[in-house]
Amino acid sequence: MSVDTVVLLALLAVIPAGIGAFLGVDRLGAARRGGDRAGTAEHVLAWANASAAGLMLGIAYAVLMAGTALLPLGGTLGAAVGVGLIHVLGARTRSALAQRAVMASALHSAAEGIAIGAAAALAPAFGLFLVLTFALHNVSEGAVLGSALSARGRGPWSVAWAAMIARTGQPALAAVTLLVIRGAPALQPWALGVSAGALVYLVLAELLPGSYRFTGRTSIAVVVSVAAGIVALLGGRSR
Amino acid sequence: MSDTTRVFVYALYTALATGLGALPFLFVRDLSRRVVAASNAIAAGLMLGASLGLVAEGAQRSGWATFVGVNVGIGFIVLTQKLIGEHEPEIGQFRGAGARRMLLMVVVMTVHSFAEGAAVGVSFGGGMALATAITVAIAVHNVPEGLAISAVLRPQGVSLLACAGWSVFSSLPQPLMAVPAYLFVEHFAGALPYGLGFAAGAMIFMVLVELLPEAYEQERGRRVALLTGLTLAGMLLFQQYV
Repeated sequence: MSVDTVVLLALLAVIPAGIGAFLGVDRLGAARRGGDRAGTAEHVLAWANASAAGLMLGIAYAVLMAGTALLPLGGTLGAAVGVGLIHVLGARTRSALAQRAVMASALHSAAEGIAIGAAAALAPAFGLFLVLTFALHNVSEGAVLGSALSARGRGPWSVAWAAMIARTGQPALAAVTLLVIRGAPALQPWALGVSAGALVYLVLAELLPGSYRFTGRTSIAVVVSVAAGIVALLGGRSR
Repeated sequence: MSDTTRVFVYALYTALATGLGALPFLFVRDLSRRVVAASNAIAAGLMLGASLGLVAEGAQRSGWATFVGVNVGIGFIVLTQKLIGEHEPEIGQFRGAGARRMLLMVVVMTVHSFAEGAAVGVSFGGGMALATAITVAIAVHNVPEGLAISAVLRPQGVSLLACAGWSVFSSLPQPLMAVPAYLFVEHFAGALPYGLGFAAGAMIFMVLVELLPEAYEQERGRRVALLTGLTLAGMLLFQQYV
């Protein structure tokens, strides 16, 4: 897959984040302000979070397996590095809530961009599969970000733009990763491992705690595990 | 030692390891909640690592069969939880909320060790390297599980020996379940990916529905993520080199 194609596809995958954010402000934010007694908006948000978490875990599995198939040590040790790296980077971003939401979103898209680049370098179909899955998960992520920002009284259009801009790290890092791997193929398993570890960390540090807070454990666990299973199965086939 | 005996003995070791979880209570009466949360997070990483090993092994045989097994495993735990949730417990001299928590803890742990027993059993169908990795993973992860049980029982005035006893009891389904699971996949080779998937699905679901939420209640997400993530990576590394 050429670098242009990867960037173009990953850029297109940013649009769903805007749509999700728009809906998040327009629907969920409005429902909250209007005194949402049944807590429907919170449940929808929790499930959106959980499905995004499941998709990310499924991809992390597929990417990790691709990495360990190339070089066992690179895939697994890379995953440990990914966990540690994101933990350290995340610690530097202490600021206001809204800014933090955008920063968190930017970190996510960085990890996802590396995964897309490393996967596209391995096999075009695998890269395409990751782009499509992340595009789907961007809707949920956008909705969560949108509802967080709407509490600050920002309009849906401005939040949708912010959500899309926070995601531009995805195509940028996808292109950088692809170019680096083309230049130094030995880095391929490490890049796959690092992105898998980073994805798992982000799910555990941010998406899951956010989900459990708003609705029952069992429904969250079902959504996460089933979504992860489907993505892991399809991801393994596309490789 | 015949293969069946070996499966039983291995799974018995994992059960006995649970009793080690009572040891810290030799020195302290009560563990801080953060320590319990941290051990939950580590146990979650170990179980996720073991599950990924099972799924990877199953996927090499049949991706679809493993996928079906995973979903049946999830359904199995959901159903068991529904059944347990409806019972009001009363054990010996212990009653009320404390007793409910105690019984729930022991019952939940016992039920999910069925899944772990199945994991040990079916992993023998995938060869000795896989079996050793999974057995060690389950045994190590049983220690914090015993710790979690003892942490609930000990403050209620249960003796140290009884704490260790209940901990081991909660893991007894492991040797009992491992042997039939092993025999099953030995005789119906086609069932192996389903079995591997089932055990993995049940364990992943337990992590998501019990261990992680418990950990998040007492500890910040970032710390849980660091502990679970690093343990998971360590577990994967370990499986690569057994």
